[in-house]
Amino acid sequence: MRRILAISRKEFLQMSRDRLTISIILMMPLIQLILFGYAIQTEVKHISTAVFDQSLTAESRDLIDSFRASGYFNMNYAATSYAGVTRLIDSGQARVGIIFPPDFAKDLRRGGPAPVQVIVDASDSLVANQAVTAANSIGQVKSLQVLVQKYGITDDQPYDIEVRPWYNPDGITAYYMIPALLGMIVTMTMTNLTAVAIARERERGTLEQLLVTPLRSYELMAGKVVPNIALGYAQITVSLLVASLVFHVPVRGSLLLLYLLTMFFIAAALGMGIMISNIARNQMQAMQMSYFILLPSMVLTGFVFPRAGMPKIIYYLSAAIPQTYYLEIIRGIMLKGIGFQYLFGQVSTLLVFSLVFLAIAVLNFKKKIA
Amino acid sequence: MNRILAIIRKEFIQLIRDRLTLGFVLMLPVIQLLLFGYGIQTEVKHIPTAVFDQSLTTESRDLIDTFRNSGYFNMNYAATSFAGVTRLIGSGQAKVGIIFPPDFAKDLRRGGATVQVIVDASDNLVANQAVAAANSISQVKSLQVLVQKYGITDDQPYDIEVRPWYNPDGIAAYYMLPALLGMILSMMMMLQTAVSIVRERERGTMEQLLVTPIKSYELMIGKVVPNFVLGNVLVTISLLVASLIFHVPIRGSLLQLYLLTMFFITASLGMGIMISNFARNQMQAMQMTFFVLLPSMVLTGFVFPRAGMPKVIYYISTIFPVTFYFDIIRGVMLKGIGFRYLLGQVSALLVFSVIFMTIAILNFKKKIA
Repeated sequence: MRRILAISRKEFLQMSRDRLTISIILMMPLIQLILFGYAIQTEVKHISTAVFDQSLTAESRDLIDSFRASGYFNMNYAATSYAGVTRLIDSGQARVGIIFPPDFAKDLRRGGPAPVQVIVDASDSLVANQAVTAANSIGQVKSLQVLVQKYGITDDQPYDIEVRPWYNPDGITAYYMIPALLGMIVTMTMTNLTAVAIARERERGTLEQLLVTPLRSYELMAGKVVPNIALGYAQITVSLLVASLVFHVPVRGSLLLLYLLTMFFIAAALGMGIMISNIARNQMQAMQMSYFILLPSMVLTGFVFPRAGMPKIIYYLSAAIPQTYYLEIIRGIMLKGIGFQYLFGQVSTLLVFSLVFLAIAVLNFKKKIA
Repeated sequence: MNRILAIIRKEFIQLIRDRLTLGFVLMLPVIQLLLFGYGIQTEVKHIPTAVFDQSLTTESRDLIDTFRNSGYFNMNYAATSFAGVTRLIGSGQAKVGIIFPPDFAKDLRRGGATVQVIVDASDNLVANQAVAAANSISQVKSLQVLVQKYGITDDQPYDIEVRPWYNPDGIAAYYMLPALLGMILSMMMMLQTAVSIVRERERGTMEQLLVTPIKSYELMIGKVVPNFVLGNVLVTISLLVASLIFHVPIRGSLLQLYLLTMFFITASLGMGIMISNFARNQMQAMQMTFFVLLPSMVLTGFVFPRAGMPKVIYYISTIFPVTFYFDIIRGVMLKGIGFRYLLGQVSALLVFSVIFMTIAILNFKKKIA
């Protein structure tokens, strides 16, 4: 026991002396959260639009107003030819082009159909999807208005579908992203940093010195793991403070439960880090290997892109990454306010991951010398 | 000149001998492209849905069918109570809950019926999609009823024809993979230069190089050239994967693509060398590289549209060379545009390259670890 404490003390000392690394570890969550919390928007409004209005009537201006009023389209350019629209979209200055034929008002007064072309730069799928949906929706709504007026329809809308968004009624992207960012930050620190730190000790030869002591493998491991766990919790705390104070992300569930369940994730991430350090022969390799875990963690775990949309194989791949389960835990507790009963599956999976990873790490850590 | 060639030769030999790193550098783009290409879906279909149908009539079943046929909703659960729906959404098994009141069919025949659609909005992308789809279904079905009731034979008055350019099927891979190429390039170029230079410093082999007659800029060129070649190899591998496996088109000139990419490679290499001047050991070099890479993944238009960002963030994103490169590579591959439309971006990259390289060389005062 004393030996474990001695190692922990050494690790803490080393950590506190490496000022640059410590500040990066504590500052990084702060900066990332602020940057990404503000920058990441999944709903795009004010899309730069070019209008080529060959009709120039009250009707065409009315439709343009409808587009503008939707909030999705910024009428930035008034083109004077089709080639002009093409040029604006090719160069990327406009993402959408609206083209009115000369007879637009006449066709509309005759009862329709009055065609309007809406060109969308679909190379950017997020923006394109929204522009297409918005444009179609505007078309439907305006058409309905015309028909209602023409036929003197006073009915209520027959199908009244009331959509109720739960947990995040205003659809604030930050509420969705920031809890997930917490998970990302923990993965990066616990896996990356641990792997590289141990690899560095091996490279420098200080590990060799430790191995000539009566210290056992698991004692060394425990001693190294404890300070990193403390660091992980420090990061989580900083991140939660930023999340709630700056972005007002709610914590609807039990904070205590969140901290408790985070332990399982930290343990799993640390286990991965140590496993990597056993395989890597130098710091560069440790970094590269941990990147192999980091990248899928960003893309496949539901951090940004919904897992529901992924092909089966990728979906199963994502089930092998601990972060997937932690994201459900942290979003569940913070946004949905759910408790242990709903998260039992995720927690047990993380527990299994932790035990397996740490066991492999310890067994493998055969006091290898660089 | 001889000295530069000697350094280049040494760098190449070192590169080839480190099998693991070489494998990593060449395999990583392939794996990343595959992961991203298959994994990223911006349009979500088959959202798990729970239905609580208290009406159980032809009308309710018809509406359920409409939801199912839209492709957006998978009727996975038939709940028997509101609490059941709450449980399914709370646990995350369902993301949407549709609730029919008992009098649904009666109300519909009388002219207006209400249906509740609960959406798990903690998951933004899915929620946005579900809400839009639900609203759309509501409008379309309502219109059908009114058309029938009033015998309306008019065409839709406002006929808005939407024409998606460059990517009509809205394939996310077309948008993501070219950008991923840029990210891979950025990361590899920066990491390779920064870490290799710092590693030499740590090991002391840098000191040995410095006692030779070699000048700073000669050493720099010698280190840059092999990585430059590596960069072009990466571009080639990535383009092969993107076009052969994902059928991402290359509508513009391939030659222009390679030429314009060179500006970007140079800028990234310059950043790597600048980092190597500040870092005192490999760990710091890697951390600093990562510190730059992470914002460049989020703020530069890689995944999230820059158009949606607050002004301040938008301006911050212009200090990353990769922001401009995304315009270039997406423009050349998807839009088929050329140098003429990309003049602004290319000049920006040129300026970046010159500035970074100059700072790097001036700072590289033959520092010893």
